Amino acid sequence: MLNFFLEFLGATGKKFINFVANIGHFFIFFGSAIYWVFKPPWYLKKIFQQIIDIGYFSLPVVGLTTFFSGMVLALQTYNGFTDFNSETTVARIVLTSITRELGPVLTGLMVAGRIGAKMAAEIATMRVTEQIDALGTLGTRPMQYLIAPKIIASLICIPLLVLIGNTIGILGGYVIAIYKLNFNPSLYLYATMEYLQLIDIIQGTVKAAIFGLIISMVSCYFGYNASKGAEGVGFATTSSVVISSVMILTSTYIITALFFG
Amino acid sequence: MEKRNNKKVIIKVSNLSKSFNNNIVLKNINFQLLEGESLAIIGASGSGKSVLLKNIIGILQPDKGSIVINDTEMVNLPRNLKEKLLLDLGITFQHGALFDSLKNWENIIFKTANKEKINNKQGKQLAFSIIKQLGLQPKILDLYPSEISGGMQKRVAIARAICGNPKILLFDEPTSGLDPVTGSLIDQLIKTAVKTVGGSAITITHDMASVCRIADKVILIDKQTISWTGTPKEMFNSTNKKIQEFIKPINSEIFFK
Repeated sequence: MLNFFLEFLGATGKKFINFVANIGHFFIFFGSAIYWVFKPPWYLKKIFQQIIDIGYFSLPVVGLTTFFSGMVLALQTYNGFTDFNSETTVARIVLTSITRELGPVLTGLMVAGRIGAKMAAEIATMRVTEQIDALGTLGTRPMQYLIAPKIIASLICIPLLVLIGNTIGILGGYVIAIYKLNFNPSLYLYATMEYLQLIDIIQGTVKAAIFGLIISMVSCYFGYNASKGAEGVGFATTSSVVISSVMILTSTYIITALFFG
Repeated sequence: MEKRNNKKVIIKVSNLSKSFNNNIVLKNINFQLLEGESLAIIGASGSGKSVLLKNIIGILQPDKGSIVINDTEMVNLPRNLKEKLLLDLGITFQHGALFDSLKNWENIIFKTANKEKINNKQGKQLAFSIIKQLGLQPKILDLYPSEISGGMQKRVAIARAICGNPKILLFDEPTSGLDPVTGSLIDQLIKTAVKTVGGSAITITHDMASVCRIADKVILIDKQTISWTGTPKEMFNSTNKKIQEFIKPINSEIFFK
C-alpha cells in the first residue's frame, strides 16, 4: 500500500515537474521568437507568403462564420426582444456582440483550427525529417527563417481578419433584420452607427493581435519541439489547436475585464 | 594548424561520449580526418554513426569530449561562430532533408543564396552545373522535392552539399536507396570532390562496395566505440569478427583486381 502511494506520488511529481519545465521551455521559446521578430534581416518573401496564407485564404472561413453568427444573433435577439423597441435593441446587440466578442473569438478559433494546425504540422514535419537541422547547417537560423515570418504575418493578418469579420457579421445581422424580420433599413443602420464605439473596435483589434500571437507562438512551439515521427506531428498539431483555443477563450475574458471590468 | 604525416588535421574528435536517457550510444570516440583524406564510417544500424555526425556538426551536444574542426573547438562554441564554421562544410542528411516548400534548384543553391546576392537565372544555372555531374535531368530543377523519386532527392541533397565547393564534406548514407550505377556515380563524385578541391570527406555508409571505392581510411563503430580502423585493403585481411561479417557478402576481388 505504501509502495503504491509512493509510486503514485513519484509519478505525479514527475508529471508536475515536466509540466513546469515545459512552461519554462515555452517562455524561453517565446522570448527567443520575439527577439527574432525584431532582428533584421527579415525574410520579406516568406512574410508575404504567410500573409497570403493566413490572411487571404482564411477570408472565406472567417467570412462565413461571422456572417452566420450575425444572422443567428439577430434572430435570437429579436425573439427575446419582440415586445420592445426591437430595431434599436437588435442592432445594438448584434453590433456590440460582434465587435467585442464574437468577431475576434470566432476569427481566432477559426484561424487556430486552420492556420495553427497547418503551422504546427509544417514545422513538426520539418523537425522530424531533419529539415530544421539542415537549415542550421546552411547558414540560416531556423527561428529567423521559419518562426519569425509566421509571427509577423499573424500579427498583421488576424487584426485585419477580425475587422473584416466584424463588418461581415454586422452585415449578416442586417440581412436577417431587413429581409426576414422586416425592420426599417434606415432605422436599423442609424441604430448601428449610433452605437458604434471606437473602444469596441480598439478592444476587438487588441484581442485579435493577442490571439495572433497566441496562435502563432503555440503552434510554432509545438511544431518546433516535435519528436517521434508521424506520431509527433499528430501530437503537435492536436496540441497546438487545443491549447491555442483554450488560451484564446481564457485571454478574451482577461482582456474584456481589463477594458470593461 | 595541427599536422600529422605532414598533412593538416581537419577534424579531430577526442574522447567523445554521448548518451540519451542513460542509454550510452558513443563512448570514448577518437579519430582524425586529415586534409585530402576520405574517411568511411561503417557499423551496424543503430550503432551511433549518425549520432557521431550530428555531434560533429553541432546538432547534438556531446556529454564529454572534444571536436576540433580547422583548429576551432566546436563543443560549447558560441552559436554565431559555429554557424560560420558550418558554412565551410557540405553536409547531407540520412533522409536528404530537402526543404519541401522550395523547388529543387532553390534547395541546391540555398547556402550560396544566403551568402551572396544571386538572381533566379544565375541560381538555376548554378544548380544546373551541379546536377549535370550527378546524372540528373534539368527538368527536375523546377520541381519540388516531393515530385521526384527518392533516389533523385538523394542526389539533389548531395548537389546541395557540394554547391559552393566546401572543403569538408560529410555524407550520411549518400548511396542508400540508389541503384548501383547511380551509387557508383555518387562515389566517383565524392572522390573527385575530395581530390579536385583538396577537400576531406567523412562518409557514413553500409555499402561496402562504396567504401572500397571512396575511402582512404575506414572506421568501424561497434558496441559504442571504435573497434577497428584501417584501410579498405586491410579490411579484407582483418581478423576482426565484425569486419568479416561486413565484408562477407562481397567479393573483394571485384574491387581490387
